[in-house]
Formats: sequence, C-alpha cells, structure tokens
Amino acid sequence: MNFFSVRPTLALCLLALLSDAAAAQESGYQLGRGKALTDWLTTGGYFSTEYSDSNNERKLLLDDLALLLYGEKGRGFSYLLEVESVEPYVADFKHDTTTTNFPPTIERLYLDYKISDLVSVRIGKQITPVGYWNLQPINVLRETTSNPLYSDRMIPKFLTGIDVYGYAPFATDLTYHVFAQNGHDMDQSNINIAIDRHYGFALEKILPGGWKLGGSVGRFQELNSGATRYLQLNTRYDTDRFTLLAEGSHKLQDQKSGSPRQSDAFYVQGEYHLSVQHSLITRAEYLHDSGVENSERIGIVGYSYRPVFPVSLKIEYQWHQDSAQNRVMASISVLF
Amino acid sequence: MRILILVLSLLMLPAATAAEYAVVVASNSTIGALDSARLRDIFLRHRNFEGEVRLVPVNLLGEDSTRTHFETSVLNMNRDELNRYWITGHFQGLKPPATQASLQSVKAFIAHVEGAIGYLPLAMVDDSLKVIHEF
Repeated sequence: MNFFSVRPTLALCLLALLSDAAAAQESGYQLGRGKALTDWLTTGGYFSTEYSDSNNERKLLLDDLALLLYGEKGRGFSYLLEVESVEPYVADFKHDTTTTNFPPTIERLYLDYKISDLVSVRIGKQITPVGYWNLQPINVLRETTSNPLYSDRMIPKFLTGIDVYGYAPFATDLTYHVFAQNGHDMDQSNINIAIDRHYGFALEKILPGGWKLGGSVGRFQELNSGATRYLQLNTRYDTDRFTLLAEGSHKLQDQKSGSPRQSDAFYVQGEYHLSVQHSLITRAEYLHDSGVENSERIGIVGYSYRPVFPVSLKIEYQWHQDSAQNRVMASISVLF
Repeated sequence: MRILILVLSLLMLPAATAAEYAVVVASNSTIGALDSARLRDIFLRHRNFEGEVRLVPVNLLGEDSTRTHFETSVLNMNRDELNRYWITGHFQGLKPPATQASLQSVKAFIAHVEGAIGYLPLAMVDDSLKVIHEF
C-alpha cells in the first residue's frame, strides 16, 4: 500500500467534512451539539482519524467512531450511553497491512440523580473524575493528537461504580467527588489499567484570576497485582489568548516482596490562541517508573486549526528522549 | 473647571450604570436576589437548585440584544465561548437551558413554570414577576 495513493481520498474526505459543517450550521442544526430527538433523548457522536510517522511506524488509522445517547427524565434523573469502535481501521504502511475492528464497546453507561447542588449520585461505567485531561479524553476536545503519558499510565481512566459529587457546603466554588468501584470494569476492552477495586476522593477549587486548582487521592487494585495508592494534582489557567494546563501524579504499588514500585508523571501544556480558529501548542512531559528503572521525557510542539469548534485539524512533532521515537502526528476529528 | 467636571461626571454616572434588563422569577417564588456568579452557575447548569426549588433556566432563542447583553454582562462570556462550552457539554451529556421564541413567551414561561428563571427588559416586568438581579 502506498501512502501517497491515500492522500487524494483524505483530501476529499476533508473537503466533504468542512462543507457538511457549513451546511449544518446554515440549516439550523448546530454541529457538535447533537440532535435532540425528544426531551429525554439526544443523540450525537464523534470520530477521529490519526496519522503517525516515525522511524518505527507509519500508520493511518480511523481511531474512534462513537455514538452518544443521553437525556433527562423526571426530576433530577439523567443518563448517558456511549458506544465506541476503537481503531476500526488501521493501515500500517511500514508493514503493508490493514486491520479492522468494528465491534463497538461500552465506553460509558451511567445513570445520574441530582438530589441537590451539594449531592448528586452517578452509578455505572463513567470517566474517573480525576484531573482535566481525563475528563475530556476525545481527540476533538483536546488541542493535541497525542495524550500525555500521565493520562495513560498512572490512574485508571474509567470507573465502574459510584461517584457522589457536588459543591462543598462550606466554600464557594469548591467541588468534590467521592468515588468507588468494587468489581471488574463493565467492559474490559479499551481500558488503560484493568482493576477490580478503586476508591478515591477529588477536590477542585475555582480561584480568582482565571485559575483552577484540584487534586485527588485514591487506591486501586490491579488484576493479579498489588494495591496501588496515588496522589494527583492539577491546575489550569485561562485567559482569552492563553491556556496553561499542568497535571502530575505520584503512585506507589505494593510488591510481593521489597519496597513498593514508585511511578511519577507530569505534564505542562501551554496553548497560545492566535485566534478562535488557530492555536499553537507546546507540551513537556516526564514519566519515571522505578519498576523498570526507566524515565521518559517528551517535548511537543503543535498547531491546531478549528474551522468551526467541533471540527479539529491538528499536527504535532514529538521529541523523545529516545530519538528513534521522534514522530509527526496529525489528526482530523469531528464531534457531531 | 474642576467643579464643572465633577458635576458633569456625577450627572453622567447614573446614566452609565442604569440597568435596562432584569433577571426575574415568578412573583410567588421563594428565590431571592442572586449575584452574577450564582446566575452564571445556574445558566451554565453547574447548579440546579436554589434552596428547595429545582431551577428551570430559560433562554431567549437566537441573538436578540437582550440575550447578548445577558451573556456578556452576567455570564461574562461571548457567543463563541458559550458555543465551545455547550459543545464540550454535549460530550458530557449536558444540555443547554430551554429556549423560548420571544420575550413575551419568556415572560409567560417564567410566570407559569415552577422554578423558571430568565431575563427580560426591565420595562416588561410587572406584578407577575419578581426581579432578583438587574444588569
């Protein structure tokens, strides 16, 4: 398979995508906001394509293809279902192979009940309510194609259990989450860490001047492994032109013998918004894992273009500590 | 000269700060005065209650100046920022407030739906409504 033979198809897809977005806005349907079929059913979805080029790989993939259903029913009840095909099509130009994987998996399925602003309850498979990156995990909502190592390696992304959350009664703009999982994940596919238990507590405070500050502590049990305890911190600063994101965590995993395995990871990302449509991004990442006595450092520069907000075109270059891993990544993603 | 400038400034001050619009609830509502930060939380649907009352925020459809003024003055967000917010909210299963097609229908909605909260020109406020914030 020749990559260059694929390029005209990609260009046509891109043109079709942008013209569809414009037509949708003119017709009154707003791209990126879903379609409300009834008061209790709104439907939508998203997809993303990625291209990655390094010494070791050259891949084009349809990364995500997902359907969202959600709505509100009665006084305070709401639900959300997200089913997703992950990497339904992968073309590997280095090895001249293609793979397909269409069967969808349950990414999220939960029921929410809002008792008051101080107490709400969410039960089911949900995103673990920790940090910022984890809560906006899809390509179209972020400004880089890649995810930081911090988001993949440190804390389980999903929780199959209960989250009690709300505003703290004793302080303005302070929110909390108390969450627990006791059992396997609802769907074991596409999870970053397989666990059968997870307990945690998270706080976030909105500060004056555009700052937010949060953190969490928790404990989870990986399948066939020792218990892991973690401490996580996150901060965010927003102005019209600039966004700063920084998150980090430290975890200790009990071993059958000897001292616990320690891991530390953090990233700092700056986004300079040249305009509503154009942004420049830079990110520095670090991860250290005492279990494999390995440290990884990555530097990233990128560019993001959004002809309309729910359509994202991005390109980035990554410098790795191991230069063989240096790569270009690009993506097109749409929320509909 | 200084006195003249002072007098002119004092004369201009009330005109510059006079509110033209109001956030209102039904006249029999138990909801009292709310500040901009609280209203922002309600209209972005971070908060859904005021005391025991489950809130039903309502927006005016489209880009009428009443709505635009509310968004910039009270929510402190422009339309681009709001679009981004609700698009992100779509992924989180969060729906924006209900809309009404005209100021008259907003007024009727607020007067008759329990927990409804919305905004109108002050000139439209009558005994059926209670002002909880002016802007």
